[in-house]
Formats: sequence, structure tokens, C-alpha cells
Amino acid sequence: MLSLRREKLATCLKEIRRKGRMSGEAISKAFGSMQPCLDSNPPAAKKKRNLPGTPDPEAEVIALSPKTLLATNRFVCEICGKGFQRDQNLQLHRRGHNLPWKLRQRSSKEPRKRVYVCPEPTCIHHNPARALGDLTGIKKHFCRKHGEKKWKCDKCSKRYAVQSDWKAHSKTCGTREYRCDCGTLFSRRDSFITHRAFCDALAQETARVTAAFNNVESNMLQQFPMSHIKPSVVHGEADQEVKQRLALWMGHGSRTNDPLDNNTVFGDMHQVGPVSAAATLYGDLLNSSSNLHQLDQSQLSWVYSEKLPSSSNMGAITSASLPATSTVTEAETSQPLLGSLPALFSSQQRHLIAVSDTSATALLQKAAQIGVTSSIPFTGSFESPKGQNANVRDRFDGLFSSRSQPSNLENIVPNFAVSNTFDVYAARHGSPRRDDIGGETRDFLGVGVHTLSQPSINGWI
Amino acid sequence: MMLSTDNMHNPHPHYHQIFAGCLELELDDPNATERWAAELLRECATAISENDSGKLHHLLWMLNELASPYGDCEQKVASYFLQALFCKATELGEHCYKTSLAVAERCHSFESTRKVILKFQEASPWTTFGHVASNGAILEAFEGEAKLHIIDISNTYCTQWPTLLEALATRNDDTPHLRLTVVATVGMGGSVMDEIGMRMEKFARLMGVPFQFHVIRNLTRLDELKYEEFGLREGEAVAVNCVGALRRVSVEERDAFVGMLSRLRPRVVTVVEEEADFTSCKGEFVSCFEECLRFYTMYFEMLEESFAPTSNERLALERECSKSIVSVLACDGHDSGDCERREKGRQWCERLMESFSPSTFSDDVVDDLNALLRRYRAGWSLVPAEGDASGLYLTWKQEPAVWACAWKP
Repeated sequence: MLSLRREKLATCLKEIRRKGRMSGEAISKAFGSMQPCLDSNPPAAKKKRNLPGTPDPEAEVIALSPKTLLATNRFVCEICGKGFQRDQNLQLHRRGHNLPWKLRQRSSKEPRKRVYVCPEPTCIHHNPARALGDLTGIKKHFCRKHGEKKWKCDKCSKRYAVQSDWKAHSKTCGTREYRCDCGTLFSRRDSFITHRAFCDALAQETARVTAAFNNVESNMLQQFPMSHIKPSVVHGEADQEVKQRLALWMGHGSRTNDPLDNNTVFGDMHQVGPVSAAATLYGDLLNSSSNLHQLDQSQLSWVYSEKLPSSSNMGAITSASLPATSTVTEAETSQPLLGSLPALFSSQQRHLIAVSDTSATALLQKAAQIGVTSSIPFTGSFESPKGQNANVRDRFDGLFSSRSQPSNLENIVPNFAVSNTFDVYAARHGSPRRDDIGGETRDFLGVGVHTLSQPSINGWI
Repeated sequence: MMLSTDNMHNPHPHYHQIFAGCLELELDDPNATERWAAELLRECATAISENDSGKLHHLLWMLNELASPYGDCEQKVASYFLQALFCKATELGEHCYKTSLAVAERCHSFESTRKVILKFQEASPWTTFGHVASNGAILEAFEGEAKLHIIDISNTYCTQWPTLLEALATRNDDTPHLRLTVVATVGMGGSVMDEIGMRMEKFARLMGVPFQFHVIRNLTRLDELKYEEFGLREGEAVAVNCVGALRRVSVEERDAFVGMLSRLRPRVVTVVEEEADFTSCKGEFVSCFEECLRFYTMYFEMLEESFAPTSNERLALERECSKSIVSVLACDGHDSGDCERREKGRQWCERLMESFSPSTFSDDVVDDLNALLRRYRAGWSLVPAEGDASGLYLTWKQEPAVWACAWKP
């Protein structure tokens, strides 16, 4: 029997190799009464599956109590009384009893199709019209929805009522990676969620979500109890909401951007600003205070100006020394402080370029691309028109203030939300920008660059 | 270290003795070189309290030479504490604090804030510990409720809420309606909160959670918060979430503040605070200084070990500390801006016991916290409070760092 089948298979294969395919008739001819292996029409005997929750109207409705439903050994052998979880297992066991032929047969009448209702009255599947056709299915449903979650993942402490769900989850827990639309990969779900909430790439994506929805794996659905669409949520966009929620966990995969690594780009930039700014501000503190009880101004001034040339960290900011005496003698006027600043800034620029060739230069190039008037935030702010008579503090605030206004930020965000392809971080890695966001993007980059340098002030003010 | 007597404008008669003494401190004792910053700073603080201007001057000079915000941990600690001690000595504390507040208000953008705090949360459980504990307690207290109102007074810029929103969305079939009222104080940047609000709303929509966001602002100090500002409604369940909040209330107003919270009739109050005591030593400079030094040394070391060596975000976090250190050491209370005087868990317990009773975290929450800590580098553990204190401590190398506790009416 077996060798015959093998022969027929071999013939089929030869045919396929020759022609590239086999026609349906050729197949049935080759195999005759045997079950065809490459059949394009489904065999008539194949069970027709109904959609879940829409049972066959002819079927017998079984309503089991929770106790019976959850009983582990429903099928009992009449001979020895041994219990089994499944009918198939019971039948297998019965064979071992060597029953006479008559008793061996199952009951003559074809077992009527059975459907089961959920014992929980508030559940939608309690209604016979929405009964489920599979006993195991209804058991799992009952546990998942109305049961106690006894199984717990020890990695992420997620809980499950059904042991098989728990097992399935444990296999993949921690191995899963979550990918945000912006391209970043996460191994931890909670950091992914938090990132996603604040990510610029947060958007309403319907088309992509639908496609992803169709490709979802079954165990993913198990993890999120949304096997049926929720009734309408806030805006009446029920399907959209659900699909969007799924979107979070799908990681569309069509984005193949590199994972974020912003640190290196600005890694060296921060070193530039603070020291010289610090010295200036310290000078400011010295001058604007009128009560220096314990420390003599003159004594201190050299302390802090000495600091600059001997700075072991910056090295390059040697030309930016504060003239020690002038800060002391011209205590009340702010002119000398401002006067010394251009020197500071020019040295900063030199230092900026020297310290980090690729990152700073790349930044400058990018800035040139977008048409920023000044690539270095300090110089830009320095040119801002503040009156000569403004007090020192205003001057410093003006110098280091962010160039962008709050309203710009709000304008920028919707753009990002709408344009899925716009990747803020891609900019830092050199991909071309879209023209229509040119102006605002500049601000955005400006802001980004700003805030890395500016918080340095906090260190010394 | 260069020593040039030519540069001395006014050599103190005992200069050489003092300086030699300091030098000995550094060179002879190998253990002392490890912790040179602490030694020098301590000497400096003592000099201030004793009004010894000559010694102080020279110590400041030395510290200035050795300190740097870009160096190793010792240099950093020296740098930030030097600034505070300088302010204390010159009585510039208020001015310095006000300026740093103004600058923070100006310079902190949404992007920079987000970057720093998210990176911090990836690198260290310092803030996420409190979030997970509080969210767990809040979710349990809100079980079965349909209308929720969370009053959020915290310093973590709403990074606590996305995971809570997700939990609300996936928990059960009926997603409750959530109102989130955030209290923003000076220094939290108006535009930042606006941006955060928009993102929260968008995210809640994505999650399918009916959501409303509101910010209470224009408060110069937290003690100014009044019951009416919260806009409480009939039928809603209230939770109050205080993360790094209670310490920002001026010491004298703290009991009254707790009383105000109880008038809100919350189902739960979650409190998360850093474990340090800058309050009971308020009048004594040197003991205050010691506690400050202990806490911030631990914090800086923790930051150093959690981040990559050249991290911008860590730098930003370190700079944030300078404001607090100046406030605690060189200010006597402000007319504007928050107090920064932390109290330990045990002390907060005393205050909260007046109006609330402690609620232990459930086993589920503890499991969640343990799972959380496992995701970070070694060195962190969970220790339940003992004795007259309740709650949980997050410890770093066996030292309690952050305290979290939940309270019911």
C-alpha cells in the first residue's frame, strides 16, 4: 500500500518537473481513489467552519455549569471509570480494553453538532445565538474572561487564566522587540509604551493598521483580549480605535530606519558653552552683588579668571580669558563683560569645530542646507537686539534664550504627526528634508541644538 | 597642583599652615585621596560656620582648582557643592536660585525635557520605581469605577501615565473615563506642559481611553494650591499622585497641605519621595551640609554608573541638582519657587498619619516592582519599610534612595 503510494508520488513529481505543474485531471488520474496530494479543490468531506460566535442553527445547544465546564475529566470510561479531558483520548483508551466489536462502535447515530454557551449570564456568549462550537474553546473563553488569573509570567508579571496562554507567552516574553514608527527598537514593553506616547511619530494610521491587522499572529491576539471588536468608544470610531491600538504592538516593520543614537552627534557640543559662560556668569555674580562679606572681590576675581587658562577639560578655550582686573574695577557697568564675550564666542566656534569634526561639521552642513542664518545658537542669540541699557541679567537671558517661540513648537508637531515619513532623527543622520517644513524644521533643529547647550547655564547660575 | 605664591594678593598669616594641612590631607592618606572632595567640602563648610574667612578663601581656591562638572564623580560633587558654598559665603543664594529658575523656565523645551527624562528612565529605576508602585496602587483603588480623576503633582512630566492608560485600556471591557489634572509650578515651563498635554490626549485616543487633560498653573508655590482649583465633580473617584511633590511645599505649610489633600476625599494618595533629610537640620548648617553631601554623592555615583560616560542627559540631570543644592544650603526659604527640603519616609509617615492611613502594596505590585528592577543593572533592590514607617524603599547598593507609599482615607 505504502509503496504504491510512493510510486504514484514519484510519477507526480516527474510530471511536475517536466511541465512545471500538473493539471487537476492528471492528478486524479494518477491517484485514482486515493486522496490526492496536490488537489486544488477541497475534498467534500472537509468540515465547514462557522465564524466564531455564529453557530449552526441545527446544532444542539449545551449549557454547562461552571463546575462541569471546568471539570478536568469530563469523559469517563464506563469500564474502568478513568477520566479523560478529551473524547479522543477516551476512545484511544477504550481500545485497550479489547471490547467486542459491537460495543466498540460508537453510537450509531451521527453525533449531532454541539454548541456551547458561556455560563456567565452577563457574557455575550451566554446567548445561544452566540454560542461557541468548540468545548475547549468555551472553556478557554470562560477562564480568560471570567476566570481568576492564576498563571503569572515571572519576567513581566503579566497574568493569565489559561495555562496554555501563559506558556505561550513565557516563550516569547523578553524576546520580543517593539518597534516604534520613528524607528527605535525596544526590548521592554513599558519603555516602548512611554516612548510611543511622547514620540513625534504618533499618528492616526488607518491604512497601515488594516494591513498589519491581517497579518497578526494568533498568540498576539491572545495576549490582548480583543478577540471581538469593542463596542463604540468615545468618538464612535470603534474599529479605528481598536485597530490603532493594535498598531502599537504590531511594529509595522515597513520602517527600516536605523535605531536612534543621538548621543554621539551632540556628544561633544555640550563641552563648548559652559566653561566660558560659567566664568562670565561668575563674574556677573561678583559684580552685581553688593555685599561680599567674607570674600574680597579683588581676591576672588583672580581666582576665577585663573580658572580659565588652567582648565584641564577644555584645553582649547585659552584665548577666552576674562580680563581679571576689568571685571573688578568696572563693577557696576556691564560693558566689559559684554565686551569680552565676542572673544568667548569666537573661541567657542573654533573649539566646536576642532573638538568634534564629524558631528559638528555635519550639523553645520545641515544647518546650511536648511538655510539657517546662524548655525551656532549662541551667535544667533548674541545678535538679538537687546537695548544697551538693559540690565545684566536681561542681557544674559537674551543671549541664551531659545530662538523658537512656544507657538512654533505647536505648529511643528501637527506636521510631524501628519507626515509619517518625516523622521526628525533622520535629519541628524543626513537624510534630505522636505521643503515645505523648511522654516519650522530649522526652528526645531535650532531648539534641539539650543537646549543641549543652554541648560549648562544651570550649572553656574 | 600648581602653587604659586606670586598670585597671592593677600596672603593670610596662617596660609602656609592651612594649605600645608590641606595638602597633607590629600597626599599622605591614600584613602583620603579617594574622597578628597568630601574632605575639602567639609572643611569649607566648617570654615563658613566658624566664620573663618581666610581658611575659607583658600579652600574655595583649592576646590575651584580641582572641581569640574565634566570630571569624575568627585570633581562633579566638588563643583556643584563649591557653587552652593560660594553662594552661602557671599549670601548670593537667593539671587542664584532665582536666576536658575528663570533660565530653566526659558531653556527647557519639550524635546530636551523628554529626551532627558526618557533616557533617565531607561538607564535607572529611580523614577520608574515610584511610577510602577503608584500606578499599581491607583489601579487597585480604582477597580470597578467608571469615572476617574487623577490629580498629579509630580516632577516627572507625565511619564507615569502612558503605562497607566494602557493598563486601563486593556484591563477589562469597560474602559473608564479618565480626567487628569496636572499641577505645574514655576520652572516647569508653560509650553512644555502644553505639549505634554497634547501628546497625552493623542495617546489616550490611540489607546481608546476617554480622556481629559487639565493643567493648573500660575502657582508660584505649591502651598498656594486651593481645593476649588481642582474642579472636582460628582460621582468621580479621585486619586492624588505626589511624586517629588511634598518636599516642594515649604516646611511650615506641609501639615496644612496634607490636610487640604484629605479634603479632596481621594480613594488613594500615592507618595514618592527621595530618601534624605534636609528638614530637621534646617537651622544647623554643617549637619544639613553633611546630609546633603551624603545624598548627592550617592545620586551622582548612581548617575555615573547608570549612564554611558559621555551622556548629555546625565549632564543635564546633574545640572538640575545644582538648583536644589543651592536652595538647601544657601537659601532660607523663597518668595517664589519651590522649597527643596526633602524629608525621609518616616517623617512623611508622621505627617500623613494625621489624615490618612497607610495602605500596603499588594503582592501583584511587589511582583511588578521586582520584575522592573530585574530589567536594570545590578545594584538595585526593594526593601519594605519597618517600624513606624510604611511603604517600600528602592535601595541603591543597600542604601535607601527612594521611598514610595500609598495611603487611604
